[in-house]
Amino acid sequence: MRYFIFLLLFFISIFPRAQTAREIVQKADDKMRGSTSEVELTIKTTRPSWTRSLDVKAWMKGTDYSVILIQSPAKEKGIVFLKRKKEVWNWMPALERTIKLPPSMMNQSWMGTDFTNDDLVRESSVKDDYVHSIIGDTTIDRRSCYIIQMIPKPEAAVVWGKLLVYIDKKDFLELHTKFYDEEGKLINTMDAYDIRMMDGRLIPTRFVMIPEDKKNHRTEMIYRSVKYNRHIADDFFITGKMKTLN
Amino acid sequence: MWLIKMAWKNMWRNRNRTFITMASIFFAVILSVTASSLKEGIFDNLVKNVVGFYTGYIQVHKHGYWDEQILENSFEASGNIEGTILQDENIARVTARLESFALASSRDITKGCLVVGIDPGKEQEITLLENKIIRGRYLDGSDNSVLLSEGLGERLNLGVADTIVLIGQGYHGATAAGKYPVKGIVRFGSPELNDKSVFMPLPAAQDFYGAYGMITSYVLSLRDNRKLHPTASALRSALGITYEVMSWEEMIPDIKQHIQSDSNNMKYVLGILYMLICFGIFGTLLMMMVERKFEMGMLVAIGMKKNKLILLQLYESVFTVVSGCLLGIAMSIPLVFYLNNHPIRMGGDTAKAYERFGFEAIFPTSLEAFIFINQGLTVLVIGLLLSLYPIYKIIRLDPVNAMRR
Amino acid sequence: MIVIMAWRNIWRNKMRSIVIMFSIATGLFAGIAVLALYKGMMKSRVRTVIDAEVGHLQVHHVDFKKDYDPKFVLEDGEKLLQAIRFLPAVKIVTPRSITSGMLATTTGSAGVQVNGVLPEREYAASRLKEKIVEGRPFDPVKKNEVMIGKKLATKMKLKTGSKLVLTFTDTSGNIVSGAFRVVAVFQSDNAPLDERNVYVKIADLNTLLTSGNSFHELVVLLENDESLEKVQQQLKKKFPAYHIESWREISPETDLLVKTTDQYSYIIMLIIMFALAFGIINTMLMAILERTREIGMMVALGINRVKLFTLVLLETIFLTLSGTPIGILAGWLVTGYFNKYGLNLSGMGREMMSSFGFGTIIYPEFPVDKLAGVLFIVAGTAIVSCLFPAMKAIRMLPVEALRR
Repeated sequence: MRYFIFLLLFFISIFPRAQTAREIVQKADDKMRGSTSEVELTIKTTRPSWTRSLDVKAWMKGTDYSVILIQSPAKEKGIVFLKRKKEVWNWMPALERTIKLPPSMMNQSWMGTDFTNDDLVRESSVKDDYVHSIIGDTTIDRRSCYIIQMIPKPEAAVVWGKLLVYIDKKDFLELHTKFYDEEGKLINTMDAYDIRMMDGRLIPTRFVMIPEDKKNHRTEMIYRSVKYNRHIADDFFITGKMKTLN
Repeated sequence: MWLIKMAWKNMWRNRNRTFITMASIFFAVILSVTASSLKEGIFDNLVKNVVGFYTGYIQVHKHGYWDEQILENSFEASGNIEGTILQDENIARVTARLESFALASSRDITKGCLVVGIDPGKEQEITLLENKIIRGRYLDGSDNSVLLSEGLGERLNLGVADTIVLIGQGYHGATAAGKYPVKGIVRFGSPELNDKSVFMPLPAAQDFYGAYGMITSYVLSLRDNRKLHPTASALRSALGITYEVMSWEEMIPDIKQHIQSDSNNMKYVLGILYMLICFGIFGTLLMMMVERKFEMGMLVAIGMKKNKLILLQLYESVFTVVSGCLLGIAMSIPLVFYLNNHPIRMGGDTAKAYERFGFEAIFPTSLEAFIFINQGLTVLVIGLLLSLYPIYKIIRLDPVNAMRR
Repeated sequence: MIVIMAWRNIWRNKMRSIVIMFSIATGLFAGIAVLALYKGMMKSRVRTVIDAEVGHLQVHHVDFKKDYDPKFVLEDGEKLLQAIRFLPAVKIVTPRSITSGMLATTTGSAGVQVNGVLPEREYAASRLKEKIVEGRPFDPVKKNEVMIGKKLATKMKLKTGSKLVLTFTDTSGNIVSGAFRVVAVFQSDNAPLDERNVYVKIADLNTLLTSGNSFHELVVLLENDESLEKVQQQLKKKFPAYHIESWREISPETDLLVKTTDQYSYIIMLIIMFALAFGIINTMLMAILERTREIGMMVALGINRVKLFTLVLLETIFLTLSGTPIGILAGWLVTGYFNKYGLNLSGMGREMMSSFGFGTIIYPEFPVDKLAGVLFIVAGTAIVSCLFPAMKAIRMLPVEALRR
């Protein structure tokens, strides 16, 4: 860890400040992702009149490949989503059919959550699509954090006007994120909780996303297990494979 | 009294003249009644057709549904609401629908489509869905099969008895997925409906979307289509703010605009018709006065008071105009009824355009009583106003000049 | 001899002559007015559809409209464009790149059709510039500008300057997205159409679609509506590989409405011609009635009946001839005036109509092509209606006619 801080100090000293901010964001992102990851998580969607809980298992490799398997509820068990680069495929066991999601479905909610199908494929990069700068620091839950401002580059396909990301200085944990529109109005807030050691990494394991102007709407993601950097072959992420998961 | 008698006798004495004047009024009434009854009838029929093929005259949704047409904006179907709706005496029928978008898929082709859950029996009463079937058979309430629109069927390469796969987002985030046999193919004139609609019985759709007991809209038909707005606002206050009540004019404003501008433009044309009517009557009266100049001059010369003469002339005019009007209305009623029962058939391109939509290519007349009354009264007023001309002539009458021939 | 007598007769009884002359003039005027109105209406009614929505003709790849798959670009589009452009009947032809996809903002998303257009030509072809209610036209230099409809803007809480992201598939089926900035909000009569369509510059869209200089749609606007079918046939013959549709096929609902009104207009014209004929016949009948004594006198004096008949006929012809120019002149002047300044549908529901953004002004057009027809009907009616009472007068016994 000491080595880590040295390295960080090294970076701070030789790069301009903006570059550093970018590194911090990159590090936090890498920390959650790994080169590959195999995650089991529960997604809870809360709406004013109903709630819904979804257990899924996801395999991810870089930003291009991912597979999501629905484990529960029973009615949807076995449904698989495959993302290859910019395409999304959907395996429906009940119908024994694989369907490629057309763009017309991209704005639909994904499995009834606050995510859209488009969120699965949108490849905005926290590193390349934004201009980063450290604008201050603060303390969240006794953890000292950088406040990093991320402004999307003009040509980037990002809806936000500004992101404020609060990243733990020591462990590079993204603890709090605020999403603003271009007029500076707060739209969404994401908080991370329950920092635990998972597969040898210290990461937050519960994320809560709350939209600002929709009362009683929230989405919660809870990591139940994570495995990082296990080898996953590229041919795991092909349509033929989807039916064999479970 | 003797003046009335004299007027009556006068009218009979110069039958030709009376008949000509009466005829001008009579034909004016018949023509204006026919023209406006056709106008009303044609546009009503057009609205009936356009509205009848999908939207219905009025729809009831949960408030906010129209702006965001998603299943989360559906509501629970209940006899209660249906009862409230049917309480309005102008509502003829009600049918429930559950509509949402889904993906339709055959072997390798996937298309977005509108899946509509319907009550087959009641739907038929309002939108005549069964008549649009071109292959296969219509749905039964308990079926677990679908009707496919023609264009979608072609696109997916599916026909009757094939299986269609539907996938979508169900109610409360559930996944909607199902396989259904195609029971029939329906054809719509509107490309939009023809290219992407799928119909299934309401229970099947509720099961598919996981929206048990829920519907997105009530589609209503009216007894008297003219009372669209009062009925809509009466419903609005009866149902309260949890529901939105929309008339077809709000749901398909483009069609409404076309119909409105067309029917408004037609008012100009009717205006010209009135102009001709005025001129016809006026010309007749003008010539009548030329012809009667001698006679009138004589009457004044032999000592008849001008005001008596005016009264006499007035009686004659009123008799002629009123009886012309009454005769005209009496004659136009069977004519309009005949044209309603044996409507004018359209030919050529128009007929083709109508057939494309599955409408009957006819031009019915409207039997609304107000048309007869309005047109009758209009002509009556025109006739009476123009009868002031002979009076004016009498006032200006110089017996000496008048008798010089 | 008879000619002179007829001429004198006309002047002798001025009142009668004026009345008959005016019936003919009014008849002609009314006929012209109806036809002019009808012609103006025909034009104004389809104008919104043709000039502001679909154009006269649209050309697509045969498979394009099936799925709006952007890979079906118009092959040799540029060549086709040039070929159509120089057809004499063609006023404007403009290309569009089209793809369907999704518009996303911070608060939500909506399905839209993205139209890549050439600004200047698009303004001419679909009046896009005139529809702008907020903002300014496309900047020729700035990249990634988008115009959105009023209803969509309200729904998605967008205004000029707002950023949005458009996501769609490119020509090879990949999903791509780009950030665009709202440069203008437009509003037309057709709100549902406005809600579905957004406009960007064709170059910006093609970059994302990786479709080079190609496009998916050609919108053709003709010099006049009448040549539609001819041009469509001509193009179909010349370019059989493309899907060439007229607005009637693209918007059958409008076609239906237009045809209904057309048919109704025919019927109304028939009714109006009836009214016209009745008006003239009645006036003539009265005129003859008035002449009974005079004709009886002439018969009693031993005038040849054929001559008498010719006399009445000649009189009518003279009157018709003098009434005709008056009617035509009046019709020409009035339609000319309204053609220039428009016939405004003031009063009745104008507020409401214009809140829909709907054209309420009709520009009647002098029906040169149908003038002979109207003239024939009016003059024919006048002559027939004078013959009929003239015959009656001739058959009258002089004694009876004279007894008054």
